[in-house]
Amino acid sequence: MKRTLSSEEEHAFLRATLDYMQHGVAMYDADHKLVTWNERFVDYLQMPEEFLGTDRTFSDYIRYIGARGEFGEDADIEKELEKRLKVLATSHSFERVRPDGMVMEVRRDPVPGGGFIAIYTDITERKKQELALRKAMEDAESANKVKSSFLANMSHELRTPLNAIIGYSELLAEDAQDRGDKAALGDLEKISAAGKHLLGLINEILDLSKIEAGKMEVYLERVDLRKAIDDVKTIVDPMIAKNGSRLVIECPPDIGGLKTDITKIKQCLINLLSNAAKFTKQGTVLLRLSREKDDHGVAHVRFDVGDSGIGMTPEQLGRLFQAFTQADSSTTRNFGGTGLGLTITRHFVTMLGGAIDVVSEPGKGSTFTITLPDRGGGEAEAGHAADDLRMQPEGVASAITVLIVDDDPAVHDVLSATLGREGYVLLHARDGAEALAIMRKSPPDIVTLDVQMPKIDGWSVLGIMKSESALEHIPVIMLTIVDDRNLGFSLGASEFMTKPIDRNKLTALLRKLAPAKADAVILIVDDDPDVREVIAATVKAAGMTSAQAANGREALGWLSNHAAPALVLLDLMMPEVDGFEFLEKVRELDSMIEVPIVVLTAKDLTERERSFLAERTLLVLSKSGQPIGTLGAALSALAHRHHGAAESRLEK
Amino acid sequence: MKVLLVEDNEMNRDMLSRRLMRNGYEVVMAVDGQQAVTLAGSASPDIILMDMSLPVIDGWEATRRVKADPATKGIPVIALTAHAMAEDEKKARDAGCDDFDTKPVDIQRLMGKMQALLGSA
Repeated sequence: MKRTLSSEEEHAFLRATLDYMQHGVAMYDADHKLVTWNERFVDYLQMPEEFLGTDRTFSDYIRYIGARGEFGEDADIEKELEKRLKVLATSHSFERVRPDGMVMEVRRDPVPGGGFIAIYTDITERKKQELALRKAMEDAESANKVKSSFLANMSHELRTPLNAIIGYSELLAEDAQDRGDKAALGDLEKISAAGKHLLGLINEILDLSKIEAGKMEVYLERVDLRKAIDDVKTIVDPMIAKNGSRLVIECPPDIGGLKTDITKIKQCLINLLSNAAKFTKQGTVLLRLSREKDDHGVAHVRFDVGDSGIGMTPEQLGRLFQAFTQADSSTTRNFGGTGLGLTITRHFVTMLGGAIDVVSEPGKGSTFTITLPDRGGGEAEAGHAADDLRMQPEGVASAITVLIVDDDPAVHDVLSATLGREGYVLLHARDGAEALAIMRKSPPDIVTLDVQMPKIDGWSVLGIMKSESALEHIPVIMLTIVDDRNLGFSLGASEFMTKPIDRNKLTALLRKLAPAKADAVILIVDDDPDVREVIAATVKAAGMTSAQAANGREALGWLSNHAAPALVLLDLMMPEVDGFEFLEKVRELDSMIEVPIVVLTAKDLTERERSFLAERTLLVLSKSGQPIGTLGAALSALAHRHHGAAESRLEK
Repeated sequence: MKVLLVEDNEMNRDMLSRRLMRNGYEVVMAVDGQQAVTLAGSASPDIILMDMSLPVIDGWEATRRVKADPATKGIPVIALTAHAMAEDEKKARDAGCDDFDTKPVDIQRLMGKMQALLGSA
């Protein structure tokens, strides 16, 4: 039975519903007068009693809030009101922070017959959690980055002394062999073997960390399979012979080629064959190549690596591809190995689009099978093989994407106007983090990078780019601000040079910037004595005299006691007073206004990155010094060189 | 048979040069890329073993210069790097290196590669 509610009852129900809600609710009529509200609304908005009646309107209420200072100190209250009135006809929502820090989500929806309903939700907790979550994510990301670069540096540091241990023990072993000293020979060979084991571990851990960080790259090229097999045979033959076994290779003479990553497939086969060698005594290790088609008719190349060794149980097979587990924990003791080889092999095979499988029985040996899809291109001549990779149309700017990274909107406007007209596709980033996010998602062809930006500056963005394999090849044009006094970096720097210093370039620079007078003095400011010496020798060879300072403070001291030099060569990263601070201070000296300063840039860049920058196309332009047309020309030159390089690589 | 060994690490230079000499090679040494380019021209080596991370100019650039000079471009260059990463080998070959090996050097393997290049030269 359905009973009809009286209007009083209906009103009471509605009232109760409103008061029990976890939201603040207010309803306004067509004249924007407040007609219904609940207690939470009063509580959330902290409105005085006199606003809770029909003699005040929504506008009065907004003006009151504004007067209370909730739109900010200098806010134009009428403008704020206008903004709010404009959107009342549509559903909308926004967030508001109460002066005491409470965050509210405000939602307003129009109701039929005019008027609207406003719902307020307390989202302070949710906001806090979101913030904590974002911070945790950022922390994790940066920790991961630190971990990767730590691992890379660390493995290099570990390898250097290890090289000496392995090399000298082998040298001594050769001596012992010549002398016929068998006891010493045995011990020395153990040192060398242990060193090599440790080295293998370090290399594989580095590979694995690169794979996990997504930094392992695949280079596809035409691979002559017979030649690849010959290379692999040279390496694994001695390992197999050591246990008295022999290697049998079955490869059809017309096996041909395959488009794949030669280094990775060789590494995979070496891993599998050296495993087979380890677990097979006085037996046979088989490497068989064949071509086959899968169920969908796709052509594959199949590599089988079989042995007549100890084999594995089903339980052991299950754990096989996990890092740091061998079939049996005693395996490492008896057979050596790092336990990472198969994990890496499987990762590589997956990266190459293939699959790896294993069949094994205890006592009967194991057979590992790698199948790689053959998508064509392998049989073609090298020149043709490159065709399908050459996707960019020739000489058309429209194919080129430029990412503009600058915190100054004016720069975006100017570049959009000039470059956009030339047909470049433009992407925009207002800061370093946004720039990196865009680059990682869709790498542009060229990046223009502002040096001075809040939070992450241009040099740091460049440093990060050069450390990520997907980004390191992207040519970068640095834009620096010369006319801002506070930004010390570019104050009057005439040129930039990358380290390690190329003596020919330096000599040319000296000739260009310093007048060839006998009394011309070049001031070298660098905290690395070796760098100072190298530069001093070059300066001397050019017939000039040099003075040296180990940091900015010493350099400023020298300048106050001497006549102005003909040229200053300046490192950036130095103790006490660094290059940035030096640049800022030195221009206050009257004698130094005209003196050219060459900045030696190596900030945050590793050896490899420096050589990368030196050999590629880092152009340093100044934002105020260069007419914008020059930038356009530089961009097209870069784009050209970039494509040219890509093509010549492919044709090799 | 004359080998130009380019290596900035003193211990590595000492080790490898002694082992090469023991195996009958004459060894000329350079400690940076600039010296390597100079010696490639003046010492007329039969083959160059080139470390890649070198001071003054690095091994990639030094190789490019050796290969750009008509007087020295016929000399085979074997790149030696600390770790066999795919991109290292690729980069070395792009710079013009004829072959590639990793450190620590397996002397038999290295001499095999040297003989292969010298035989074909």
